[in-house]
Parts: sequence; structure tokens; C-alpha cells
Amino acid sequence: MKRTRDEVDATLQIAKLNTAELLPTVHCLGFGPGASAAAGDFCLLQLEPALCQQLEAGCSLVIRGDKDEQAVLCSKDKTYDLKIADTSNMLLFLPGCKTPDQLKMEETHCNIIHTEIFGFSNNYWELRRCRPKLKKLKKLLMENTYEGPDSQREKDSNHSQYTTEDLLDQIQASEEEIMAQLQVLNACEIGGYWRILEFDYEMKLLNHVTQLVDSESWSFSKVPLNTCLQELGPLEPEEMIEHCLNCYGKKYTDEGEVYFELSADKICRATAQMLLQNAVKFNLAEFQEVWQQSVPEGMVTRLDQLKGLALVDRHSRPEIIFLLKVDELPEDTQERFNSLFSLREKWTEEDIAPYIQDLCGEKQTIGSLLTKYSRSSMQNGVKVYNSRRPIS
Amino acid sequence: MVQIVVSSAGAGGLAEWVLMELQGEIEARYSTGLAGNLLGDLHYTTEGIPVLIVGHHILYGKIIHLEKPFAVLVKHTPGEQDCDELGGESGTRYLVTALIKNKILFKTRPKPIITNVPKKV
Repeated sequence: MKRTRDEVDATLQIAKLNTAELLPTVHCLGFGPGASAAAGDFCLLQLEPALCQQLEAGCSLVIRGDKDEQAVLCSKDKTYDLKIADTSNMLLFLPGCKTPDQLKMEETHCNIIHTEIFGFSNNYWELRRCRPKLKKLKKLLMENTYEGPDSQREKDSNHSQYTTEDLLDQIQASEEEIMAQLQVLNACEIGGYWRILEFDYEMKLLNHVTQLVDSESWSFSKVPLNTCLQELGPLEPEEMIEHCLNCYGKKYTDEGEVYFELSADKICRATAQMLLQNAVKFNLAEFQEVWQQSVPEGMVTRLDQLKGLALVDRHSRPEIIFLLKVDELPEDTQERFNSLFSLREKWTEEDIAPYIQDLCGEKQTIGSLLTKYSRSSMQNGVKVYNSRRPIS
Repeated sequence: MVQIVVSSAGAGGLAEWVLMELQGEIEARYSTGLAGNLLGDLHYTTEGIPVLIVGHHILYGKIIHLEKPFAVLVKHTPGEQDCDELGGESGTRYLVTALIKNKILFKTRPKPIITNVPKKV
């Protein structure tokens, strides 16, 4: 039974409200049939303006998570932690309800709007931008590294392989974030599956390229694709040669020909990894000599090329260097700091920065992370950071 | 791992609703539940102030434009008639039914409506 205008006016009179001070339109609020529906059939999701625009454009979002994981919500390119926020107030959803501004803009004013309350809630879903959980990506792809087309592994079809869709099914991250990480990992799509190259195989490809550059006396910044494919094609699949050039160089076109500008930093870094992975630690001076000799002629090695890959200990005698890969450390922030402080009690900001850079959230800096997760002190005039609590 | 899609029909298919925030709880007077019952009348003053008459009370509130809008998600579980276009059965999905960019907040103490004023003798 819907309320009539007369009933509304009668109520206004009893309430002693002056209709002259009110807009002509009244919303009569009632509970719709679904208003007592079981909680969980509908809910409120709080959005940042950018996400709202995406929904208005028709884009979808995806909630991802295992039963034992904290759920995340992914847009095309960002990942958010999903949490339920409780409010002590009651939130009612009013379809078709107009605001005073909207009413004032209307030309004809209707008298009554019968509004059916769709439902109500005392909580909503809250989103907070978070780092995508990408560590699992490398773990999955390392299950079956690619060693070249002739390797025994490729003939044996029993191994786990992942397509892009498979990865979206397993990783708590947005598609763009996964694609970006695949590039960082130098992963390659082979036969529709994403593969990480086995390190020795990747080095073999790189060596073919750098030796060819040397024998042809090319400049590192102008390596012609076609000649590479011609000369190296007999040795390795053309797709793998081109993949290697893409990983270690930047592609460009000059007068219709495709060239690559090779990155000295990336090549020196890979060479260092090749040397360091063979022992627990190296005498720093010896390492630097061997390293410089091992890189292609004309490239200059520098320790800052090894950030996040290797760590130098300047307090030991002799000074040493050892492999420490940031992507093999824990993903969780507290666990990462614990493992870094177990490794070394006190760190300078310069040394620790490459190992915590990836932990920074949208608005966090290295400084704010250090303030939150460590304690600082002065040592020999230099500021150092150590753990806030005892590490066993 | 589970993937639950939250799909949107886009601006053409998305309604804009308003949120109303009240303190306290809502209970049905009778055991028949809330459905079909009236809550009250919502008026606006010419200055744009929301006035809600609920039972014997008047509440004055304010309209707030939300910095962070809300989406109303309605859950669809499998076992319902619709299969998705590929002919496969879809898992649990949420459909974005409406966006909420404004809320009406009532947080001041309700004023009672006195209907029986004793006449002076």
C-alpha cells in the first residue's frame, strides 16, 4: 500500500514542518522484497575514483586467492588487499533516490517518489593497494626451465607448463603486473607456454651473440638482427636468439633494418652471476679482476651493476663478495627484514636499499620502511640499521 | 586458487543509487519481517538539508559527496539457470548493479514529534 500525498502532508503537519521550507518532492521509503535477504547476497565495495571509472567503462575486476590466502582484488593493472570494514552505523541502499541538487535541476517536479530500499549492511569491502604477490610466478616457472629444444626435458611431456591463463589462475596479481614480471624474469613464450630459461642456456645464447659481435667488430649499440639470425641460426632456434637480443638489448629500426643496442649493465651483471654462483664467496679484488676480463671487450664493470644480486663485505679481511639475490628472499616485509638481519647484523642504507626497494608500497619510501622495521645507530660516523628485536 | 569475477555492465547499465547512513539498528516490529514495510518519509529543505520522518521522530542530516564511491555487488552463484556464453557453467560471480556517489548521513539525535499537546485549561 503506497503512501499518498495527503498522508505525507498530514505527517508534515503533525511534525510541524513548514512545507514552504521544503522542496516539493518527497521520497517515501519502504523495504523492498529482498531487503531481509541473507547477508552475502549483496555487498558494498569501496572504490578509489580510478576504479570507479573503470567499472563505468565496463571493465571487470577479479578477486583471487586460495582458501588459505588473504584475498586480493585485481583490476587490469593493479592489485589491492581486500578487507571487510565494519561500521557501527546502518547503511541503506536507496535505488532511484535523488539528491537535492539533482531535484533542483529537474524541470518538472514530481510529488512523490516511492523508493524501495534494496537492502542494508553494516559493513563494506575496503581496498588497499598492495604489492602483487609475484614470488610464486618464478617458483612455478622454475619447475620446468627451458634448456633448449634438444634437451631431454622437452621430449618428456610430463612437466608442468603454464599458459597466461594458467598463471592468472594461480598468481594473486593483475595481468599487467604478471606480464611486467615475466619480462623482468626474461621469460619467453614457447609453444604458448611461459618458460624461464635455464641460466646456463641463457648464458650460452648470450655468449653466441657477444662472440659474433666481437668477430664482426660491430658496435654494441648497433647489432643487426638479420645477420645474427643468419649466422647463429644453425646453432640455436631463431626465436631464442631474438629473445636473447630482446632481453639484453633494446630494439630499434634504422633505415628499415632492425638493430639492437646491447646493455653493458645487463651483460656485466649476468656475467657476474655466472662467476659468483660457483662458490659461496669470493675475494673481492680477485673477483673484480676476473669479472672485468670475462665481459666483452669494451664493456666496463662496476659494482653498482650488482645491486640486488651480490653483496660486498668490506669488514672482512680480505674483503669478499657473494651472491645474494633479492628474489630469493622472503616476500613478506617482516620476514624479509628478519632474514636480512640474520645475514648481517648492521646495514648501511646503501647496502640494504636494493634488498628492500621492492617492498615499498604506493606511497612508501626506503626511509619510511627503515623507520618502521629497523632501529638506527651510528657506527664510525656512519648511520647503520639493525633489527628492532632480537633475531634468533 | 579461486578467481571470482566482478563484472560491470558499463555506464549504460549501471544505475546510480544513494546511500543512507543511520545510527542504530533496524528491526521489524512484527515477526513478518521488514519486506513491504514503510520506513519513513525523506524530505529536503530548500537549502538541501535532508529531513527524515521515521515513526515519531524527525532526523536532520546532511548530504555528503563520497570521495570514495561505492559499488553495489550482487552475488550470483552457480546452479542458477544461466550458463555463460561459452556454454560452461560459471562459478560464483558478482555483478556490479549500481554505483553510489552520494550518501545521506543522519547522526544527530532524533527529535521526537509530540502529537498530544495538553490544552491549557
